[in-house]
Amino acid sequence: MFEYALSVMIFLPILAGLALVLFPLRGQVARTVGLIVSIVILFMGIEMFIGFTGTSGMEYVQNTPWIESLGINYALGVDGISLLVLMAAAILYPLVFFVFDTRTKGFYGNLLIAQGAMIGAICATDMVLFYVFWEIMLLPIFFMIGLYGGANRLAATLKITIYTIAGSLLMLAALVYVGVSYHQQFGKWTFDIVQLSALDLGGGYAVLAFIMFMIAFAIKTPLFPFHTWLPDAYTEAPTSATFVLSAIMAKIGVYGIIRFVVPVFEIEFARFAMLLSLAGVVGMIYCGIAAISQKDMKRLMAFSSASHMGIIALGVFCMNVQALTGTLFQIAAHATSTGVLFLFVGLLEQRMKSREIGDLGGIAYRAPIFATFFAIAMLASVGLPGTNGFIGEFLIILGALKFSPFIAVLAGTTLIIGVCYMLWMFQRVFFEKTNEKTAEFQDLTAKEMLSFLPVILLILAMGIFPQAFIKKIEPAASQQVAKLFAMSQAQVADTAVPVSDQNNHKN
Amino acid sequence: MIQDYLILSIILFCLGILGVITRRNVFTVFMSIELMLNAANLAFIAFSRLHESMDGHVLAMMIMAVAAAEAALALAVVILLHKHKGKLDTNVFSLLRG
Amino acid sequence: MEHTANYIGLIPLLPLVGAVVIGLMHMFTCTGKAFSEKLYGALACVGPVLSFFLALVVFFHLRDLPVDQRHLTHNVFTWFAVGDLKVDMAFLVDPLSGLYLLFVTFIGSLIHIYSIGYMAGDENFGKFFCYLNLFLGSMLILVLGSGPVVMFVGWEGVGLCSYLLISFFATDTENVLAGNKAFIVNRIGDLGFVLGMSVLFWAIGSGGFDYLSLKANTHLLTPGVGIAVCLLLFIGACGKSAQIPLYVWLPDAMAGPTPVSALIHAATMVTAGVYMVARFSFMYAHFTTAGTIVAWVGILTALLSAIYGMFQSDIKKILAYSTVSQLGYMFAGVGVAAYSAGIFHVFTHAFFKALLFLGAGSVIYALHHQQDVWQMGGLKNKMPRTYMTMLIGALALAGFPPFSGFFSKDEILFMALANGHTGIWLIGVLVAAMTAYYTFRLIFLVFHGTPRNQEAYDHAHEAPAVMTVPLIVLAAGAALAGVLNLPALFGGNMVVSTWLEPSLTEHHPHMSHGVEILAMLASVVAVVIGITIAYKKFGQGAEEPEFTGFAKLGYHKFYVDEIYNAVFVQPFKGIGSVISRFLEPNVTDSFVKFATWIYRKAGTSFKALQVGYVRVYALYMVIGLSLMSLFLSQSIN
Repeated sequence: MFEYALSVMIFLPILAGLALVLFPLRGQVARTVGLIVSIVILFMGIEMFIGFTGTSGMEYVQNTPWIESLGINYALGVDGISLLVLMAAAILYPLVFFVFDTRTKGFYGNLLIAQGAMIGAICATDMVLFYVFWEIMLLPIFFMIGLYGGANRLAATLKITIYTIAGSLLMLAALVYVGVSYHQQFGKWTFDIVQLSALDLGGGYAVLAFIMFMIAFAIKTPLFPFHTWLPDAYTEAPTSATFVLSAIMAKIGVYGIIRFVVPVFEIEFARFAMLLSLAGVVGMIYCGIAAISQKDMKRLMAFSSASHMGIIALGVFCMNVQALTGTLFQIAAHATSTGVLFLFVGLLEQRMKSREIGDLGGIAYRAPIFATFFAIAMLASVGLPGTNGFIGEFLIILGALKFSPFIAVLAGTTLIIGVCYMLWMFQRVFFEKTNEKTAEFQDLTAKEMLSFLPVILLILAMGIFPQAFIKKIEPAASQQVAKLFAMSQAQVADTAVPVSDQNNHKN
Repeated sequence: MIQDYLILSIILFCLGILGVITRRNVFTVFMSIELMLNAANLAFIAFSRLHESMDGHVLAMMIMAVAAAEAALALAVVILLHKHKGKLDTNVFSLLRG
Repeated sequence: MEHTANYIGLIPLLPLVGAVVIGLMHMFTCTGKAFSEKLYGALACVGPVLSFFLALVVFFHLRDLPVDQRHLTHNVFTWFAVGDLKVDMAFLVDPLSGLYLLFVTFIGSLIHIYSIGYMAGDENFGKFFCYLNLFLGSMLILVLGSGPVVMFVGWEGVGLCSYLLISFFATDTENVLAGNKAFIVNRIGDLGFVLGMSVLFWAIGSGGFDYLSLKANTHLLTPGVGIAVCLLLFIGACGKSAQIPLYVWLPDAMAGPTPVSALIHAATMVTAGVYMVARFSFMYAHFTTAGTIVAWVGILTALLSAIYGMFQSDIKKILAYSTVSQLGYMFAGVGVAAYSAGIFHVFTHAFFKALLFLGAGSVIYALHHQQDVWQMGGLKNKMPRTYMTMLIGALALAGFPPFSGFFSKDEILFMALANGHTGIWLIGVLVAAMTAYYTFRLIFLVFHGTPRNQEAYDHAHEAPAVMTVPLIVLAAGAALAGVLNLPALFGGNMVVSTWLEPSLTEHHPHMSHGVEILAMLASVVAVVIGITIAYKKFGQGAEEPEFTGFAKLGYHKFYVDEIYNAVFVQPFKGIGSVISRFLEPNVTDSFVKFATWIYRKAGTSFKALQVGYVRVYALYMVIGLSLMSLFLSQSIN
């Protein structure tokens, strides 16, 4: 890959998106442009994945001074931690353009801007740069929900915007604190994440800054109890925007914790790990149970997605290599399964003009291909072995057990809760009797089938041959865990922190 | 000696404020503002005399010029307002009510 | 012959490929013009039959090896490796999995053939065989997996197929609910399995997470951890093999087509729990407390479901409870460290229970999906082949000598006695009597006496050959399989037990033949008593009784389903609606609502100040300036 590959992946979609928004184009043209751009990014992503060597360091690095007086750089790079998140952002996008074509050019433009901003946030290794992309990410979402969403879109838009902006401001404040602390300790300015990890923070302000960072990421992820924007936003957003939000953007929250919080705030992180993991599992159980009684299919999926995010986040807090690798893997796995499920719900809505579970039934007989694809994605979402959902969940539960058996038992209930709401939904939508509405249901067209097929195959391939992915992310994960472990062990040896034994971190 | 001038100036200024706050006719309000400006002028001149410096005179001249310019502008605005609503009552112009 | 090991991977792969091919064919054609049933049938049978022959090759190869080298592993690829955890997609054939392999592929193939007849005319013919092949592939992965994680792949796979096949006739809500119940209850067990695996990994897994390494490292386990692992894994076994308290799904699972009940819910899948305990015999034998708990749970399940079985009226439900009951026996066997006896009972049970289910299927088929035994009667003249084979099956199930069930069950009971579990033995003998009673109640009600439903009786006819041939083959197995493990008392040399010895950690207690004969007599007497009572009550024809008192409780299964529903399911749903109707909008969302409320409130409060009159703003300015001047003059002084 050439030197500026990452910059191209960031700015090609952003510029194309801006062009779509500004120039008077027809919707079809806009869609074609979007499709071409996303396919270019797809191939760049694949090539990047293949070329990624899987050592623990940064690859495809690019570093140019940006605001020199404050040591802020335009610094990009990919390592094992960001690789799969980047892949989720780069690879799944063409689906959106392929499947749905009822939207106007503004919508396509915003979709592209969102992609560029997300790739930027994932690749940024400078905290300020990350913050900039993080904020840009929100704008297209604001427009996509606010302009093109469902009946309640205004309330939902307001909620997600206020929520995330509040989080972002907290993050900005904490970021300034981190920068100033570095300046005080080392006498120069930098926001480079590798250098910042040398910081030795302590005391009340550090805890405060840590909490502010965590709130920002917890809102985006979302972690219980900051999830309340999610059901509204996911339900009201148009399908493609829900896809972007659930499949990729939510993961950047978790990714942000791993990338920016853990290396800087080791001690605080270790101290609060128990509380945070509790928030993760409680959120998982809470949202899972809430999903059971939903009547709207999309809302059910929204709660299901929130539930899974709880367990994905849990993997970060367990502080061992199995759980962290599980989380990184599950980020990609969940992006494929949940993303596809949301798109399927969108298709269903497009055809049936309804998402009410009560209105549906017996679709499996009318649309066997659709039902099979849906079932595979659903099984991946409940973590059946052979699909990619199992590997991540298993590793996270395994790691959680090392961290705390109590948390592991709670986390394990995801196995049960997941099937409860999913099977019951599947029963009422796909099984039982066909009614006069669903009798007309059209199975996937050849075009739709061909666009979903790669993702379905990816779900299976990631489940059967996960090692191809894990071997690229595992070195970075174990390095991070080892570093975190060494730091927190050295500095809070006397406080009672539930960290794992030494012998488990040979790397 | 200087106190008398300053007391007069304060009395004039307070009368101006009172006029601005209590009167509803635009012209009265406008004249009250002029009164306040002139109260300031008086104070400047008095201080100028006290300190035997010309700075106060300069500022007084300046204020007079500004007041003249302001009068020109303000009268134009008043005419426009009158054309719009047909009244010179300030209570009519309350578009900024929250 | 080194390359024989490389075939092992093909054994589960063939049915899986079959499943994919059939599944794709069915998926693309089922809404239009479908392929012929013959094509589907042929394709469906290729995989299992080939797997069976491969299994034979591997099995005989294994037999030719010296006893202490009887294990073949085939590492296909590294599945995933994270830190110390390394999981290979590897298969292990040793005497235990070899034996399992043989009978799973054999019975699987027979049931595939039988299903061609049974499912004929069903519009989802292709789908059925896709699932059936998928099941067989998963089951073979379960059996062949070289470590617990690979076993778990098959474990979940068979659970999925079980779900799909139970809810096969999915237009009926009842069936889908039964499927959901099976999947969810199994998942509760799987939680135990996953946690058990995790504990085991952190305790001794870093030295390799496959059975052979784990076996070598068992001595490193502390008793607390060891017992915890055993019990957690046993929760998994309880889910899959329908033991107390997770047995409730199996009777409902009879909603699936009858061949499915025979293959999955009697012969193979439900015995996976027993297989797992036997696989981990090195741990259960080491931590005898865990073994004893397993044995007691097993024997109590046997007792409870035998009670249920005595009062049921649905032919498949009777057989389902008898399956639960027999599974209880098997767990009692593996629990008292009689692993080979338990596995041998799995083996014989596979024959006679598959036979009984297929026989029942043949009856149901003949009576046009009538399943109530009180609507049957006198069918032995109409369906002689089905009657004869089912009679053999019933005798084997009741444990009547010299049929196969007698030897395997007796071995378990004897071992319980020999290892000092007298209580388990006593309950076991009691259950044997009850088993004989309800089995022959079924036989007498269905085949003897006079027809209770004349119309159905008139239309009844013997099943086609494609269905009766498997019955006859299975009947031969049910009658004769006992010979394979003939105890020394009858001049045999325990072929199966000896064969299994390298895989299992067990020791054979020595007891005098006198005790053995007495124990055997006791169970034979119990069986005879059971059959006699059944004959007295039902042999000459009987009418459906009104259940009262205990019988009513038994008929309603002690209302356990209702209790579970009231204690678990309804509260769970209730919490769900509380969360989504009350907590979510009113409590967790209150942060945001509170924040917006504050801003709105503040806004409306300050709004009053903005009156819009210029002079009032001037007043504010004056007040402000005055205050500032005051403040400044204060601070200057």
